[in-house]
Amino acid sequence: MEHIEFHWNALIVFYLFTAGVSAGAFFVSGLATYLGGERYKRISRIGALIAPWPVMLGLLSLVFDLTKPFEFWWLFLTVQATSPMSIGAWLLTLFTVVALVYFLLWFPRPWRDLLKAPQRRSAPNTPRIWKPLDQAQINKARRIVAAIGAPISIGVGMYTGVLLGAVPARPLWNTPMVAQLFLVSAMSTGAAAVLLIAALLRPKAGHDYLHEERRFLVSLDIMLILVEIFIVTPFFLHQALSTWSSSSSLRILLGGPYTLLFWLGFVLLGLLAPLAIEGFELFPVVWREQAVRYSRLWAGLSATLVLVGGAVLRYVIVFAGQVSHFLPLYTR
Amino acid sequence: MDHPNTSPAKTRWVFVMEPERCIDCEACMISCSVENEAPLGKHRNWIVKIDKGIYPNLSTTFLPENCHHCSNPPCERVCPTGATYRREDGLVLVDFDKCIGCKYCMMACPYDARFVNEEKKAVDKCTFCVHRLDAGLPPACVETCIGHARHFGNINDPESEVAKLLAKHPYYRLYEEAGSEPAIYYIYSNRVIE
Repeated sequence: MEHIEFHWNALIVFYLFTAGVSAGAFFVSGLATYLGGERYKRISRIGALIAPWPVMLGLLSLVFDLTKPFEFWWLFLTVQATSPMSIGAWLLTLFTVVALVYFLLWFPRPWRDLLKAPQRRSAPNTPRIWKPLDQAQINKARRIVAAIGAPISIGVGMYTGVLLGAVPARPLWNTPMVAQLFLVSAMSTGAAAVLLIAALLRPKAGHDYLHEERRFLVSLDIMLILVEIFIVTPFFLHQALSTWSSSSSLRILLGGPYTLLFWLGFVLLGLLAPLAIEGFELFPVVWREQAVRYSRLWAGLSATLVLVGGAVLRYVIVFAGQVSHFLPLYTR
Repeated sequence: MDHPNTSPAKTRWVFVMEPERCIDCEACMISCSVENEAPLGKHRNWIVKIDKGIYPNLSTTFLPENCHHCSNPPCERVCPTGATYRREDGLVLVDFDKCIGCKYCMMACPYDARFVNEEKKAVDKCTFCVHRLDAGLPPACVETCIGHARHFGNINDPESEVAKLLAKHPYYRLYEEAGSEPAIYYIYSNRVIE
């Protein structure tokens, strides 16, 4: 292989990964709020408390990948409609703000009391009083912010792939697969982050919903992993049957420097292994209407594997994509 | 389809390369680096070497290249700050002040024409020697090309050297499938030099 300079490196990988985890954690938290309410409250809270932080770390690493980190504000003086990065910078900022509000709504007091709502005037001509939200208002606000943030988090998940896909010069990136896979993987890693924290925390005594929340997360994750497999498989078939540029970019994954990492790190450890573990856990539910098999060890392991797989996927795609290129047509 | 490279009225600067005349002396690279002060080890123009055939029937062709100043530049499209812009006469230029160095344009360029200029803390590339053009001079690499492999001019002027060359010889452009409408034309090299 010819010598290739990688201009996008591990910082970009980290940024794409963390943005995905945040988007996923937010989406899963919102989903749990709507589907389970009180039953999945722990999931909603963990997701909401995680969501803003990875993306902020990622944005920081993105800024320090610039040649001029302290002039990043140029991004926010303009909207370049044709540049995914410009759209993405605005989208991520919006997402971070929404995620921070959502974080506060789920945070225990006293921080939560930072969010105030105007109270009804006690008498005309008296100033409006802003008071911390009561529980009913909090519950309502959580649902509203989750609904506003859900499409934004999907946008963030998709953007991480569109960023790469918008570049015709790199045939491996320039396919719908990257955006699809990154979006589903973002949701999956977000769910895994929630799962991991939930497994690390010792559940409170008398917590009745442990099995139900476990079943929710595990079935969600199994579904997402299956979708990922159904995105990767046709991608390989199509690329193999396509033009020289496409099929040769596939060869980087099938017999090149990234082959082992892709198949062992992503497909085996990141998809199939957690699928097997989570399938094993869910099996009694499907077959005999029993409770899900729960062990904090298995839960933590499968979640860690999904997270590692998501990071490996982004690493491989970012680096292998920079190796892929058009047919060198200097043959005339 | 409107072909932006050949709509008459406007000036459209293009290169016409004759690979058969290139001897890989690299004088173009030297004069460019002197003229434009590219940092050590980085070049705004370069020469691709192509070996063809099987021993003993071998041949080598040299392809002089620089930024293609595309009519539909993929780099300009993805620039998040508007630092890369396209001038009225088709030149694709970088505003070093606005460039924050995200390197997205380097991902988008099918020709890998761009590099990070560590001195300027920005992404740099060939400008077709815009400062010389504006002073009525041809790019530095054209002036020092001893084999006359590099030709430069306004493709929309039928009397220009480039227009005459393209009218006479079959030509191709690189990576047209990227949809970038590049402005460097290459004369097919399998012909006898007159």
